[in-house]
Amino acid sequence: MSMLPEIIIILFAFLIIALDLIFLDKAKNYLVPVTVVGILAACAVLIFNNSDTLMLGGRFVSGAMHLWLKVTFLIATLLVVILVPESTSENLKNRLSSVGEFLTILLFTLAGMMYLVSCQDLVTLYVSLELATIPLMVLSSWNRDDQGGEGAIKYLVIGALASAFLLYGFGLIYALSGELSIPAIMPQLTEGSPALYLAAALITAGIGFKLTLFPFHMWAPDAYQGAPILVTAYLSGASKAAGLVVALQIFYRLFGHFIVDWAPFVAVLATLTMTLGNVVAVLQENLKRFMAFSAISQAGYIILGFLGNTGADISAMIFYMLVYVFTNLAVFTVLIVHVQQTGKETIQSLRGMSRLNPGLALILMIGLFGLAGIPPLAGFIGKFFLFNVAAKSGYYWLVVLAVLNSTVSLYYYLRLVRQMYIEVPAEGDKPLKIKPLTMLGLGFVTVGMLGLGLIPYFYEQIGRDAAQWLAF
Amino acid sequence: MGLLSWLIFIPFFTALAVILTPQPKQIKWVALIGSGIHLLLTAYTAIKLWGVISQETFTADVFAKLYFTEQYDWFKSLGIQYMLGVDGMSMAMVILTSIIIFTGVLASWHVTERPKEFFALLLVLVTGVFGVFLSFDLFLFFMFYEVAVLPMYLLIGVWGTGPKEYSAMKLTLMLMVGSAFILVGLFALYHTSGQGTGVYSFNLNTLASFEYPKSMQAWVFPMIFIGFGILGALYPFHTWSPDGHASAPTAVSMLHAGVLMKLGGYGALRIAVYLLPDGAKEWALFFMGLTTINILYGSFGAIKQKDLKYFTAYSSVSHCGIVLFGVATLNFMGVKGAVLQMFSHGVMTGLFFALIGMVYGRTHTRMIPEMGGLAKVMPWLAVCFYVAGMASLGLPGFSGFIAESHVFIGGFFGNAWNSSVAMQVMTVLATMSIVVTAVYVLRGLGKVFLGPITDSHYLSLTDAGFTEKLTTGILIAVLFLVGVFPQFLIKLIEGSVLPILNRLR
Repeated sequence: MSMLPEIIIILFAFLIIALDLIFLDKAKNYLVPVTVVGILAACAVLIFNNSDTLMLGGRFVSGAMHLWLKVTFLIATLLVVILVPESTSENLKNRLSSVGEFLTILLFTLAGMMYLVSCQDLVTLYVSLELATIPLMVLSSWNRDDQGGEGAIKYLVIGALASAFLLYGFGLIYALSGELSIPAIMPQLTEGSPALYLAAALITAGIGFKLTLFPFHMWAPDAYQGAPILVTAYLSGASKAAGLVVALQIFYRLFGHFIVDWAPFVAVLATLTMTLGNVVAVLQENLKRFMAFSAISQAGYIILGFLGNTGADISAMIFYMLVYVFTNLAVFTVLIVHVQQTGKETIQSLRGMSRLNPGLALILMIGLFGLAGIPPLAGFIGKFFLFNVAAKSGYYWLVVLAVLNSTVSLYYYLRLVRQMYIEVPAEGDKPLKIKPLTMLGLGFVTVGMLGLGLIPYFYEQIGRDAAQWLAF
Repeated sequence: MGLLSWLIFIPFFTALAVILTPQPKQIKWVALIGSGIHLLLTAYTAIKLWGVISQETFTADVFAKLYFTEQYDWFKSLGIQYMLGVDGMSMAMVILTSIIIFTGVLASWHVTERPKEFFALLLVLVTGVFGVFLSFDLFLFFMFYEVAVLPMYLLIGVWGTGPKEYSAMKLTLMLMVGSAFILVGLFALYHTSGQGTGVYSFNLNTLASFEYPKSMQAWVFPMIFIGFGILGALYPFHTWSPDGHASAPTAVSMLHAGVLMKLGGYGALRIAVYLLPDGAKEWALFFMGLTTINILYGSFGAIKQKDLKYFTAYSSVSHCGIVLFGVATLNFMGVKGAVLQMFSHGVMTGLFFALIGMVYGRTHTRMIPEMGGLAKVMPWLAVCFYVAGMASLGLPGFSGFIAESHVFIGGFFGNAWNSSVAMQVMTVLATMSIVVTAVYVLRGLGKVFLGPITDSHYLSLTDAGFTEKLTTGILIAVLFLVGVFPQFLIKLIEGSVLPILNRLR
């Protein structure tokens, strides 16, 4: 049964909440290991029991590409889950409360993201998207303070609006084609219909919210800043990847024939998004807000992939998403350890890190260089392939803007590096303590940041699988 | 791993060894042994290559002839390969880099602040440099190019002096803008040739086998040339260079002025002129004009400097201008001279910066007006300084003379596509810089080393120690060797310059 991984995740979500309710404090130390076991079990089932199958009358499919995407989501969640103990130690100021509920809600989001990959019609797509989004709104207000509340309410209101846009777009598609199943819709659509453009615009707005594209990004900085930093990590990585999956489903599998017509708009959106993200990030002082704008600019780079229309172009996008999830998590892992243990969230507070924690500082630097796109990291190779897609479609002006934007981004990433390496530690700063599980996670993402790019297998295989998945 | 892979990765492995070395005192020895092994391997490769090249003629070639190639598929679907090779020009550059890193490690013998990170970064940086000179797949080339540029930020930012954060950031960002231009140019080459022939590849010679439309060359050539020109200190994009050099620690200045700036000239010749001959013809005069300004501006700028490092940095701007000037002459003599000048200037600037570091380590000032009469207490350093100065003003017997005479003769000959009067006028103007160079070199050095001792505590200073004598001795020997016996280098370079020029016909 190819839905088994999703079912495992949901069962574990209920198991966690039950354990938490029944055993109360006694279960406290077992919740994270149980979650880890659940995710690993789902991963194992997914990898060893994956075949091309259809379920529920073709509404749920599974195949090679689904494996890549789902494993990405599982790994991203796993890496966040193993960081939970870093946030719950007794001596922390901003402790994460109600761990059981936190993990349950996180697992529901994960299930939503996994369904998003496999679903085959508009209704299940919409429901999965909501399942992936609404729990995140709850998580982002976890701190129950003013900032968390403000961020979450913005996230909620704008998210509701985005859902409305998306539904309206889906409605128009249904009206145009009379079908709900994604593969069946495509042949029914005809070119040049104004309603189609309207639907595409509405859906772009809906997806733009999830991907934090300009001008639908307004919620992101506040929500990212208000949320606990664990959730920020999840929002800026996995949640964005989920948005990309929706975009792929719709733009390639629904509108595949018309993607060329949509390219100029994508080019404009990409330009605005990356420029805004990069320019505003320069001015930030708060680490979480800084990462929010960095994530916005990254979304601008990712959608460059939509300028192309072949399997190779899509693989550039998915590959970069994979690389981005890893790199972003590497950065966040170090930041989470730092923010939770020092209680400080400013860029300044990183000062002297290379003397106190040379290992953490090195990984953070590699991660930041990965985000900036510096060779030989996978971040560079991924960006190179994305720019290549834009160049291939003749958008040289966009490539120029994108690489200049990368230079700007290098400036602000170097600001962090400067604090860590050039400045000396403040009086009384102590080295951070790292839990063994976190260390394991850090090692894993570091290998990922380097290996994903240097080993050609990942890119090439994603290319083959993507071409098969999105064949049009 | 083949011979060339070893040449690239020995510094990297040395960097790893440095990181794993437990004792701080052993670090410099590990770095020295690593770069020493590299120097020996470079010598072996050079002799082996000389054995092949001296038997060959290149008069009819239009493709770069590569030796000891290593070729493996990397990203097959995009035509990206791990492709290494060497020809005369890149061999000359590898020899230069290997000498500079060896002497650079010697010159950093007394770095005590975080030596582990310092030597590791230095060695990572040269890994990038060797990679650039030896890779002939442009994707790989670009990767190494950025690896060579970025460690500079930390090297200057952490170990530098003066407004180091500012200089480091300025340098990094300007060079990154340069590589942004290069990247766009590379995409244009890749896609135009790919769409034309159906074969998408980043291999330099595959790209060269396609004839690019003139309209495309007209915009891609300046893009790539300026991109590399920024690193080669092309006027008006040279402003990062004086600040960067002045703030950098000794070994970093040596590497940066000595080797890294050569990547600019190398790339401009190897990629821009080689792949886009029509664009080169069209833009040659324009860039010759800019580089003439470069040469004159740099030397006049040097006259006014009070800081020894700024003084040398401006002189570097002038001398690197001669490199790009030579490239822009587009004739055999001039281009050959450009490559010679890269080599000669690399060694000479390396010597200059090493000496400045040594003097600064003693006097704790780099301001020319505050020094005087130092020749009495440090005769060895004074003599070395004068040798470097003479080499820099092109005294016969040193490599600078050979290189500059080639470039200026080349400029005067002109080429078939540009107005020869304009070229001659610019050449005459550029040649005048030699006089200006003599002025600033003689005045500056006279002030520092001759005359009465200005400060009584200078009397207690000592002359060069053993490592310092070794450092300067090696560099002077190379300068002198190339000056009196240039045939070896010239023959090496001719073989790789001819194919580039043959394509211009």
